[in-house]
Amino acid sequence: MTMEAVAPDRAPPVIATPGRPELVLKSSEFRKGREASWRELELLVDRVEKYGVRRLSLDELQRLPILYRAALSSLSVARTIALDRNLLLYLESLALRSFLAVYGPRARPAEGLRVFFGQELPAAVRSARWHILIAALCLLVGTIAGFMLTVQDEAWFSTLVPSGLGGGRGPSSTRADLLDKEIFAPWPGAAESFGIFANVLFSHNTLIGIMTFGLGMGVGIPTILLSAYQGLPLGAFIALHHNRDLTVDFLGWLAIHGVTELGALILFAAGGLVIAEKMLFPGRYSRLENLALHGRLAAQMAVGAVLMLFVAAILEGGFRQLVASTPLRFTIGFGVGALWLAYFCFAGRKAKP
Amino acid sequence: MTLAHERTSEFLEGARRERRQIVTPEGVPVTVELADYGERLVALMIDLFIWLVATLAIFIPIVWAIGMSGGSLIAISIALFIGFVVRNLYFVYFELAWRGSTPGKRLVGLRVIDRAGGPLLPSAVVARNLTREVEMFIPLGVLLTWGKTAGDVIDWENLAIAIWLLFFAALPFINRDRMRGGDLIAGTMVISLPKRVLSSDLVERAAQFTFSEPQLRAYGAFELQVLEELLRRPDSPESMRVLNEVCDKICRRIGWTAPVAPAEVVPFLREFYTVERAFLEREQLYGKARADKYAQPGQSGGETAKNG
Repeated sequence: MTMEAVAPDRAPPVIATPGRPELVLKSSEFRKGREASWRELELLVDRVEKYGVRRLSLDELQRLPILYRAALSSLSVARTIALDRNLLLYLESLALRSFLAVYGPRARPAEGLRVFFGQELPAAVRSARWHILIAALCLLVGTIAGFMLTVQDEAWFSTLVPSGLGGGRGPSSTRADLLDKEIFAPWPGAAESFGIFANVLFSHNTLIGIMTFGLGMGVGIPTILLSAYQGLPLGAFIALHHNRDLTVDFLGWLAIHGVTELGALILFAAGGLVIAEKMLFPGRYSRLENLALHGRLAAQMAVGAVLMLFVAAILEGGFRQLVASTPLRFTIGFGVGALWLAYFCFAGRKAKP
Repeated sequence: MTLAHERTSEFLEGARRERRQIVTPEGVPVTVELADYGERLVALMIDLFIWLVATLAIFIPIVWAIGMSGGSLIAISIALFIGFVVRNLYFVYFELAWRGSTPGKRLVGLRVIDRAGGPLLPSAVVARNLTREVEMFIPLGVLLTWGKTAGDVIDWENLAIAIWLLFFAALPFINRDRMRGGDLIAGTMVISLPKRVLSSDLVERAAQFTFSEPQLRAYGAFELQVLEELLRRPDSPESMRVLNEVCDKICRRIGWTAPVAPAEVVPFLREFYTVERAFLEREQLYGKARADKYAQPGQSGGETAKNG
């Protein structure tokens, strides 16, 4: 397109001449009218970002959402009337920052934890009861298989039980060995106990437990397999003791921490199954959306499982060898188990969000 | 039209940041910038460093008090345990208390937000950080302790863990929102949150120069915003040189015959900017928005093709 040369002193310009009314820039007027409230909001948001919402006074707390909504509306208006790049970028950033300040996590960490353990966790566990049932069945099948194999031929024991888990026990162990060195072994002392506690927490079981959860992303097959695989060494151990007529004593030795620990493993696996289900059957959402909607549920169960593993580790490292009586071990083990059951079944039922 | 300033950023800074829109509960879409891989790595490194220091600060006095050698099995167990507790508390506590950022993220300027624009819930924070354990620390721990137990039986188990690590490390690179496993599960994403400063308005009405409507029709929003950015640059010989060049170009394009004295270049450009902006904004209000000098009024021109 060709442009006609226009000398500045000639031809009447459309917009600004010294003689005519002043040039009106809507975006400039708009900015003049609201800049003060943006600046005020910016100061508030700065302080929230640095020190948290709690440092604001009551007045400022009331101002924050008002100023935030005003800034949002300024942003919408500016997008249609303004071409000032600096202004647009500023408003975008201010709107986002104040959005995050207003809608950030509302709870204090302590309160968040209280809500989490008081309501969210038990509710998540309750909502996944079928997954828990499936996971428990898998574990049971593995245990039965391990038992049946080993009870007939103890050579299976070394195949099914990883050497680290065996701890010197095996087909060559005698009844007296198992009784003195394992089931009723003396208490090793506080420091050693803590070492066992921490070690147990990071043992084979925990690792596999967290893996069964994480592998839920592999649509569930690895979770089911790992869950059953967990049962194999357990069954093998029971068979080993069964053959030496120690079944009840061994089960007592196992139950004091095992009820909680196996519960944790089942919970991990159930969490993995929840993830798998949400990925396989996304319903009316996309898989990703559905995963985001329900992934939290699974993660909550995993947190519950970690908590249970903690308790199991304390029971195993600290109490098991102190309590040298089989009936008492059963009582503690299943008593704690009953407490878990009651907690997951009944906690936070009234508080509906 | 709202995307014109993004195109200007791309033009001036060379790089283009990945942007997403989240809709606030008030129904206003707000643009967020995804965090870069590099930024996230740096933030993680800072957090890991703090975690390591904190763990050692707790671990060394304990071991010293018990009076055992640092290499014994029990000491290692204690170290692992303290490390486990400290890192989980650290990430969860800070992401809750600092509204989605940890010290590392804060230094780099990153935030964790809800992908859908809702509030960041405690359960989401717990979820995304517990998954970190599965994604990173457990495979890492297994890899690190492997040398001691392995010997000749490394084979498939080690391989499986290596693949596991690789898969999770690759996750942020194979989805478009750069989410790691924890973000996927918790429905969160990590954004970069730069602070912008509101500079003074460039509008100036000295009215020494006057421009006609055909002259003002020579440009669109994109050119206007590039000019704005150039005018905002701090004074230096280099920026003066660029402004002189731009001034020459503008004069040629709009057919400005009168010479502009070197001292008048900045006043001339500011005046032109003011009048051009007033003109383009008025046209935009009348539904005749113009994206750039190639676009027809009322159409967004080449811009939609680029940004759509």
